[in-house]
Amino acid sequence: MSSEMTASAESSTLSTAERLRVAGLHAPDDAPADAVLSIRDLNVRFNTENGVVHAVRGIDFDLRAGRTLGIVGESGSGKSVTSMAVMGLLPETAEISGSVRLNGKELLGLSDKAMCRHRGNDLAMVFQDPLSSLTPVYTVGNQIIEALTVHNPTMTKRAKEARAVELLALVGIPSPKDRFKAFPHEFSGGMRQRVMIAIAIANNPRVLIADEPTTALDVTIQAQVLEVLHTAQEETGAAVVMITHDLGVVAGMADDIMVMYAGKPVETGSVDDIYYNPRMPYTMGLLGAVPRVDIAEKTSLVPIEGIPPNLVHTPTGCSFAPRCPLASDSCLQGEPELWAVAGENLDGGMPHKAACIKTDSLGLEVDVHEIFRAPAVPVSRFDAIPREERRTVLELRDVKKHFPLLKGALLKRRIGTVKAVDGLSFDIREGECFSIVGESGCGKTTTLLEIMEFHKDQDGEVVIGGLSNKEASDARTKSAMRKELQMVFQDPTGALDPRFTVFEVLSEPLENAGMAKAQIRKRIMELMELVGLQPDHVNRFPNQFSGGQRQRIGIARALAVNPKLVVLDEPVSALDVSVQAGVINLLDKLRAELGLSYLMVAHDLSVVRHISNRVAVMYLGKIVEIGDVDAVFDNPRHPYTRALLSAIPVPDPALERTRERIILEGDLPSPLDAPAGCNFATRCPVFAALPPARQEKCLTLEPPLEPLPAPGPGGTPAPPTDQQFACFYPDGELDADALVVHETN
Amino acid sequence: MLRYLAKRALTYAFMIFLTTTAGYFLAVSTLKPALLEQERIPRPTPEQVANSFRLKGLDPDLSPWERYVDWLTGILTRWDWGRSPNGAFINAEFGDRVWISTRLFLASIILTLIIGVALGVYTAARQYKASDRVITSYSYLVYIVPAPIAYFLVQLGAININETVGERLFFVTGISTPGLEGDGWAQFIDMLAHYAVPTFAITIVGWGTYQIAQRQYLLDNVNADFVRTARAKGLTRNQAITRHALRVSFIPVAQSIAFTIPAIFAGGFFAEKIFAWHGVGSWSIDAISLQDVNAATATLAYGSVIFAIGAILADFATTLVDPRVRVQ
Amino acid sequence: MTNLNTIDLAAVADEAKIEDGDVVIAKSTIILRRFLRNKTAVAGLVIFLALTLFSFVGGFFSSWDKEAIDPFNIGMPPSAEHLLGTSQAGIDLYALTVEGTRISILIGLVVGLVSVLIAAVYGCTMAYFGGKADKVMLFILEALIMMPALLVVAVATSGGGNGLQETLPSWLLLIIVLLVFSWMGTARLIRSLSMSLMQRDFVKAAQYMGIPPRRIVWRHLVPNIGSLLVLDITRGVTGAILAEVAFSFIGIGIKVPDVSLGVLIGQATSQVATFPWMFWVPLTVMFLLTGSLAMMNDGLRDAFDPSSGSIGSAKKKKTSK
Repeated sequence: MSSEMTASAESSTLSTAERLRVAGLHAPDDAPADAVLSIRDLNVRFNTENGVVHAVRGIDFDLRAGRTLGIVGESGSGKSVTSMAVMGLLPETAEISGSVRLNGKELLGLSDKAMCRHRGNDLAMVFQDPLSSLTPVYTVGNQIIEALTVHNPTMTKRAKEARAVELLALVGIPSPKDRFKAFPHEFSGGMRQRVMIAIAIANNPRVLIADEPTTALDVTIQAQVLEVLHTAQEETGAAVVMITHDLGVVAGMADDIMVMYAGKPVETGSVDDIYYNPRMPYTMGLLGAVPRVDIAEKTSLVPIEGIPPNLVHTPTGCSFAPRCPLASDSCLQGEPELWAVAGENLDGGMPHKAACIKTDSLGLEVDVHEIFRAPAVPVSRFDAIPREERRTVLELRDVKKHFPLLKGALLKRRIGTVKAVDGLSFDIREGECFSIVGESGCGKTTTLLEIMEFHKDQDGEVVIGGLSNKEASDARTKSAMRKELQMVFQDPTGALDPRFTVFEVLSEPLENAGMAKAQIRKRIMELMELVGLQPDHVNRFPNQFSGGQRQRIGIARALAVNPKLVVLDEPVSALDVSVQAGVINLLDKLRAELGLSYLMVAHDLSVVRHISNRVAVMYLGKIVEIGDVDAVFDNPRHPYTRALLSAIPVPDPALERTRERIILEGDLPSPLDAPAGCNFATRCPVFAALPPARQEKCLTLEPPLEPLPAPGPGGTPAPPTDQQFACFYPDGELDADALVVHETN
Repeated sequence: MLRYLAKRALTYAFMIFLTTTAGYFLAVSTLKPALLEQERIPRPTPEQVANSFRLKGLDPDLSPWERYVDWLTGILTRWDWGRSPNGAFINAEFGDRVWISTRLFLASIILTLIIGVALGVYTAARQYKASDRVITSYSYLVYIVPAPIAYFLVQLGAININETVGERLFFVTGISTPGLEGDGWAQFIDMLAHYAVPTFAITIVGWGTYQIAQRQYLLDNVNADFVRTARAKGLTRNQAITRHALRVSFIPVAQSIAFTIPAIFAGGFFAEKIFAWHGVGSWSIDAISLQDVNAATATLAYGSVIFAIGAILADFATTLVDPRVRVQ
Repeated sequence: MTNLNTIDLAAVADEAKIEDGDVVIAKSTIILRRFLRNKTAVAGLVIFLALTLFSFVGGFFSSWDKEAIDPFNIGMPPSAEHLLGTSQAGIDLYALTVEGTRISILIGLVVGLVSVLIAAVYGCTMAYFGGKADKVMLFILEALIMMPALLVVAVATSGGGNGLQETLPSWLLLIIVLLVFSWMGTARLIRSLSMSLMQRDFVKAAQYMGIPPRRIVWRHLVPNIGSLLVLDITRGVTGAILAEVAFSFIGIGIKVPDVSLGVLIGQATSQVATFPWMFWVPLTVMFLLTGSLAMMNDGLRDAFDPSSGSIGSAKKKKTSK
């Protein structure tokens, strides 16, 4: 790494090299000979209406072939801008300075045309949103061939087609020959991301940049795509830059990590350095903010207060200081450089450096929970009461939601039924958090909507606080029900009317409940304080708040009428990691203090594990496993639960490197094609390993949701939980093809 | 695909039937040709008028419903759209006039689309540069000028040119010089001299909408994710835009074609009136002032058919450019 | 749970702040500010208002009215006596222009406002009820779009509408016909916009809070399509003025003795070479009218656009308070 970076902050005179670097003329002569990509002092500025935004402020790194660098940061940290600058894909208005060298050749300053010789050839990229990243009007085959044509004009049509089919097969598209002619809209998100990877590796790039490649995908699909990326890297020997906000995703993949904050790297080092010995409070906070799916012991998450700085203003001190609990006056005197952290650089990767003047005092013995003053784990008064003795706040009995699938214009014919929710029964007791998990399309959101609808004509019974939809669904019962049950939405921006001030947002339910004006005002102030917002912000519009604050407003609105049960639809999935922790802690606190019950739907199993008491796993409209969260997560019996849990990357590199993963085949099938027997049989790794004689049972009989399995061969006594699952062969042998273990390298 | 188009056509046929029926009732209950006949010299007796109208199938004594049934039966059984008060047959008159209108508009429609879309692409590529500002401002200016006034101004301009040159370069009215002798070349020059002004006028008024729409759609797509993907493959920015963004930006433009054809037809009334081309448009207005029920209804039906054709063409064009709406 | 009965000092202080109107900045104020910052738009508004004022009080500055014939000045160019000259009938052109402008503005405003109102009611109804009602209403709407409006205008105002013409002045008749054919596009737009709004989470949130549908439409739907409505009113006014001019120009809109800008322009076309002022004066007024409306429309669009650049400074101003 650059030796110049040791220049101390207080030196006021610039060296010649530094002056050259500031002028953008600096050439890195110090890059290791085997580095395929060397970046020195990369700076990106954008001219906006509000002033010059300095989005990337000095990035240096070297990347060698076959290695993976993870760039971790929250939205706005400059990580995506960095990758686009390397690709030369930033708009012309962006001012870029510094040096980007690919195989020793300078890329910055190249014309669009000259840059095109590298893009897609030795430098390739996979983007975040697979749904919009493919041109809708061309076949996928066409789009892969285009990448080949640009760089291999002499290649024959036949050869290109053969290569495209080969690439599709490599990224795991079933029957690639036929799918070659398909249009992007005929592919699912995961499949489209595979196509994107195929395009990126078409010309065997030396450097592959992946910008949040799995953020938009389900966990099981994420696991598949990460696996494809792994294969792609092995196949091409490329160096990979993996950009992500998810510390779990890179833990198993990356060799080196660079943590970015406010446009600057704040900590770099090998993956083990960063995860096991972080030396910058921000990194420590991030690691502490992520809940773990594999740990039962409950500790509060580390909340990082505040929001990242506005990059229009150049920070005069440490950019993290305003949010840092350890900040002192000296932190505000000049921005700290990356200081080398004492320790051995074992594998020749990135040296461990941290941009904090207190690095040396932040050794292994420091407890991050203490530093960030993580609140104590809140205890609800209901926690002491056994579940059976608590009141039921919500009960579902055999709720079904079937949509007819119609065809024909004038006379509609019913050609099938989509069983979005197919016979759901569960109950929620006072003071507990019950979560429903599953891939998108499994029916978890439909379940919420069915509960919120609360209508007499529904198929099945919904009982909310003793009020049943079957008995009375007149206006009065309904409004009584609405006081028992409120909802928090996934997208905090969409859930707030942009034309309402916070005061209006919060007063709407209160007015509707017939509260007097003066009381409403008092109640609103109370609510603002309750959710940790400044009461004098009530006159602001939602767009003046950050995402986390908006979600707090949404929570306050839900709590306005003092409901017993709050439905949470992916309450933190739209938020940044550091903000997410604060909201989760708030939800936890409110549950304990107000004795609330939650019904949560989430795709992030780590969050579910952290906050829930009980969990249900749904697959194609049915619950396949249900029970106490620790029981289900520590001892999953249904193969789907096992696969789902195994798909979640854990922010623990050592564990990630060695653990065995179950990679499910294909996507969630359409609920229309639901088979006669077990829904999951088409993708089941246990089923695949069964002898045909035993498979028969799975295909013909529907496994019931039952508490006790047929006693296992070991004859272990059933644990005293209420865990239930719907599988004939729990704990069965898994198909070897579905298992993946990465060799430790 | 064909089945889908056939289904759409059926829906439109039903709509045309409804609008035409509504139009017939409106016309039959408001247009009273007998009043005009009364102004003739020598003044015919009311009985004579009624008799003559009865012979032409325009019996004023029948109720609107009875006349509607007669009229509809005529169309359905004999494809006979009835007669004018002066005895002319609608079917015969109609053919000539449709041909004239079509000749007037066809060139303009094609030019409007091509120029509008081309300028839209051009200005999108040069966003905020002087040429973009000039062309786009022009398109917005067209928006605040009523079409007939624009045609009239073009006509004035052409007359001015003729006067300045001192020779009749352009004909500002009429479709051809009556009784022109000469070989094919002279005929062709005469045709050009007649076509130039109206075609120019209709085109420069028409393209603005397309320029603005195409510019907007293309700009919406220039920074789309899939264009970025194309650039990441190694296409230059311009290649990526022409190969990917342009094709996608055509989708909404293709859909809006549905509205050009009737729009130009509607503008056509004005054009025909001002340039004195006796097409369907000016005929329809004349028919109304002559209290001609059948002719007015026929032109209304024609307008609806043109609209339906435009809409079906738009559907067809959309399915051509957008694989997502291809019907299985 | 915090006790509802204790008096929280901080809350009391905050209550005072809420009552202090200064803290609350209504959205409409922000939009107004942004609009006022746009010079072109303000100029447009000023011109439009000036023309409207002129059309109402302009008559007082001239001793001639639109019916008085000056037999000594027939078809005269502008002079001291007749500011804008006279028509071939010897009527003062200034008086005619004042009258014509008023009729044109009247037609524009009435058609613009009422058609948007019809469109809003029709569009929201379609979106709210959906299903069968939506289908039928959409069919009617498309059938109306298919009708060539011009023919109907012609039938109603020129041909046989004699019975009607006796009871109604031609400008009122034109207003009615223009109204019938001007609202469909906006209605379709409002329908699709309300439909997408109905899917938004904040509407769902209100439904789940048990807010009655009427209140949801009034408090959430209408304000959120409000900007569109205002824009469509200015667009509708422009459209109606243009339509009036176009129809009257070819002689099927407003009929003499009623005057409008279109009638004045149309009458003058045959003698542009000999009496140019008769053509250019009303044409200039029309351009000022439609042009000022277009300028306003532009400014309004920017003011409503949440992504527009001027929102940034407005927001900053607000947060700094």
